[in-house]
Amino acid sequence: MRLIRLELARVVRSGGVTVAAALLLVLGIHAAWQGNRRIQAAEDAAAAAETAYRDQLAHLVSLYPPATEAGELLYYLALPASQPTSRLSALASGRTEIETANLRIRLLALEGQLYEQETLNPRLAAAGHLDLTFVLIALLPLFVIAVTYDIVSGERERGTWGMARLFARPRRLVAAKIGARVILMGGLVTSLAVVGALLAGIDGDGRAGWAAALIVLHTLFWFALCLGVATGRRSSTGNAMILVGVWVAFTFLAPAVLSLANSILHPAPEALELTVRQRQGYHEAWDLTKAETMDAFFEDYPEWSGRAVPEDEFTWAWYYAMNHRGDRAARDASRAYRDVLTRRDQWARRWSLLVPPLAARLALDRLAASDLASQLAYQDAVRRYHERLKAHFQPVLFSAAAIAEVDWEQVPAFEPAARVGEASQAGFPAAAALILASICALLVGRIPAAGAPAGREDGAA
Amino acid sequence: MGRTMSNILLIARRQVGAMREDRYVVFLLGLVAALGIVSVLGARHHAASEAEQRARYQALVDRQWAEQPDRHPHRVIHYGFLVFREEAPLAFFDPGVGAWAGTSLFLEGHRQNSASFGDARHATALLSFGRLTPAAVLGLLLPLLVVAAGFASVSREREQGTLPLLLAQGATPAQIMAGKALGIGTAAVAAALPIGLITAAFVATGGGEQPSIARMLALAATYAAYLAGWVLLTVWVSSRRASSRAALAQLVAIWVVLCVAAPRLGASLANALHPIPSRAQFTAGVEEAQRQVGDSHNPDDPFFRALRDEYLARYQVASVEELPVNWAGVVSRKGEEVTSRISEEQQLELLALHRRQDRVMAWLGLLSPHLAARDLSMAAAGTGPEAMEAFRAQAEAHRYDIIQRLNDLHIHEIHHENDRAQRIARQEWARFPVFRQDPPSLRRVLADRPLPLTALGLWIALPLAALGLGRKRLPRVGMDRPSR
Repeated sequence: MRLIRLELARVVRSGGVTVAAALLLVLGIHAAWQGNRRIQAAEDAAAAAETAYRDQLAHLVSLYPPATEAGELLYYLALPASQPTSRLSALASGRTEIETANLRIRLLALEGQLYEQETLNPRLAAAGHLDLTFVLIALLPLFVIAVTYDIVSGERERGTWGMARLFARPRRLVAAKIGARVILMGGLVTSLAVVGALLAGIDGDGRAGWAAALIVLHTLFWFALCLGVATGRRSSTGNAMILVGVWVAFTFLAPAVLSLANSILHPAPEALELTVRQRQGYHEAWDLTKAETMDAFFEDYPEWSGRAVPEDEFTWAWYYAMNHRGDRAARDASRAYRDVLTRRDQWARRWSLLVPPLAARLALDRLAASDLASQLAYQDAVRRYHERLKAHFQPVLFSAAAIAEVDWEQVPAFEPAARVGEASQAGFPAAAALILASICALLVGRIPAAGAPAGREDGAA
Repeated sequence: MGRTMSNILLIARRQVGAMREDRYVVFLLGLVAALGIVSVLGARHHAASEAEQRARYQALVDRQWAEQPDRHPHRVIHYGFLVFREEAPLAFFDPGVGAWAGTSLFLEGHRQNSASFGDARHATALLSFGRLTPAAVLGLLLPLLVVAAGFASVSREREQGTLPLLLAQGATPAQIMAGKALGIGTAAVAAALPIGLITAAFVATGGGEQPSIARMLALAATYAAYLAGWVLLTVWVSSRRASSRAALAQLVAIWVVLCVAAPRLGASLANALHPIPSRAQFTAGVEEAQRQVGDSHNPDDPFFRALRDEYLARYQVASVEELPVNWAGVVSRKGEEVTSRISEEQQLELLALHRRQDRVMAWLGLLSPHLAARDLSMAAAGTGPEAMEAFRAQAEAHRYDIIQRLNDLHIHEIHHENDRAQRIARQEWARFPVFRQDPPSLRRVLADRPLPLTALGLWIALPLAALGLGRKRLPRVGMDRPSR
């Protein structure tokens, strides 16, 4: 215990460590504050979508004479489909900056409305985003490296290792040194996590628990790795280069290589295909007989078959059936696109297990529902909502009901998507990978035995 | 003079020898070069298949447009037009902001859509951690190689006691540092050369539109200046530190701050200082503004009633049916004019916010040369934000042109009686102009970047000045203070 206290005092006294710790704290608090702001902005956007719907409905109802067919009003009406943001996404923002979670859906063909992009500034997006996950998963390891890379080699190079060994056995000495640094890091991580959780108002549910566990395991993994490397017989600079190299490989190279491989292995041409098909499928219908369009519609909705529309005049039932024809034409491409994205998500998740820090980041995104799979789940929920709207308004369209005959308060509301998978399902594989990798790293390291030569083993010292 | 050169070359050769014996440096050099080659091949493959796909769909869409049957012009206004953004020929070298900008844009009447389906849309979150592109290898990894190759360049001579010997043999501090910089520079060149050569080979053999020599030269100059700054900084830090360990720690810390933390912190600060409305708020704002004016689909709208009175007065008739032109077409044309103006105003407002955010990033570039170099690199490659904005603006101009031509057909070729039953003959569709993309010129995008150019200049000038001023103190470092 005394050893640990001594070490702690020594580490804290060195100027660089204090500055780095302060910087990390400031960055982390800034990131958490920004995360909180992002969530607030998402909530404001959801509120804006809801208000826009109310305003538009009131405007349209007042604009059209009450006898106007409801189909005409529905042509304009955009209904909000807002997915509530998970509080945890303040800390692990994932893809939330690209994707909108506040689509507004019209009764027209859906495929053209489903892939709207956020109003992001591409230059900022290309710079990468700063969330608490980035501070804790990407930057913190550098700090761990900075305080541990020379715990043995530093003493050796200064010539104090031999003297230190007089006071305690090497094993205990190294344990005390590592213990002191784990305590220091524990304080830093805990304060960042607590500040982040308080700022973002995170509830202490299972997901937050798994997220905290992953962050702790990830930090311990880096300690294990540093211990494994630092107890070898290399020089301090050799240790530093190896550890920084591993950090670069885990933080930049692995994700970069994986995303390049992912995009080559799973190409996504269906994105353009579905756009072309949807437009063509809808517009061709203008040049077909109305019966042909309706027959296609009845194939998908047999419950309405037999409701013929007049061939020689415009009806809204036919108009929306044409829109349905557009979605029908894009259906295969749309499914294929969704499948490609699902495969990309699963592939990245599987292969990231080889790079535990990456697995931790993806797991945190999944826990925060800010990952690709959650976005797909949201799109599915929007698809279901569109179907429910269609089912709700179909009788109105077929009976050519007037605006006044529709109860606009009874319009179905969007039902948000359920969370993808259980918290443990998201967290467990990454946690297991981190533990396994930590054990491997520890096995690599060998704490110098009492009898090991204490001199300079490496020429570069 | 001859003696100066020979001393510098001697020191440089000495440094190269030391690097060749260092297995970490050799390994890193091999790794960076290999990654560079893989990145060129991978990015090239991805860019080529992407370009082929977009060209194929553009041809398909163009054909579908020309092969339309006889149609009423207003129908065609809703049929609209699809355009796919062409990537710059050097996009494989530096994809810039392309992944976040959307690739396909649907142009139709009454509304401005936003481009959708950027690469980032169908990627997992991995993409935002970093991409394996030649630009990333040069901008992010090569500096680290320079640090690894050079952190001990001067400090080890000091640690091993060879620095006084070099000085005693007549090498001046300036010659020593110049020689060290030259030696480290060869490592950087050795890693960068394969990337440059393969890129040049691809560009020379790849058919299609050739990127100008000027763009290639601008890229080469950008990265040469950027890496030269790193080499000078590395020598300076190494010359100022008593121990190699301290020099390495300091250089890695500088790299982390400049290359890893600064871009993200910059983006975060820019977002905090100039928040932008979400898509939902933006579209709601556009709708609200358009509602204020009027609805061209609604014949009883007050705005269009005034327009009708104006037309009736101009042609001296009592009702729109007596007008020599098609009234529905006139309304549609006027409506398009109004809604387009409003949408464009809102869009420009949003873009002005983006530009304000960009300015925050540009100023930060003065502190982080990595940001400045990246900005200049994407500008030279033709993948910067202005290329995306040019595509958007040109597509919008094309949209407006096509829609108003269709409205003119409606006004002059369609009789108001039994309006919707009439058709324009199919031959007309092929006469419409095809969308041509005209990316901004290199001169313009570079002229738009005084701050990054200054930043890159400072990035070389400051370490150079520090080296010059500190050269007298070289023999004394580590003597007057106890080393740590």
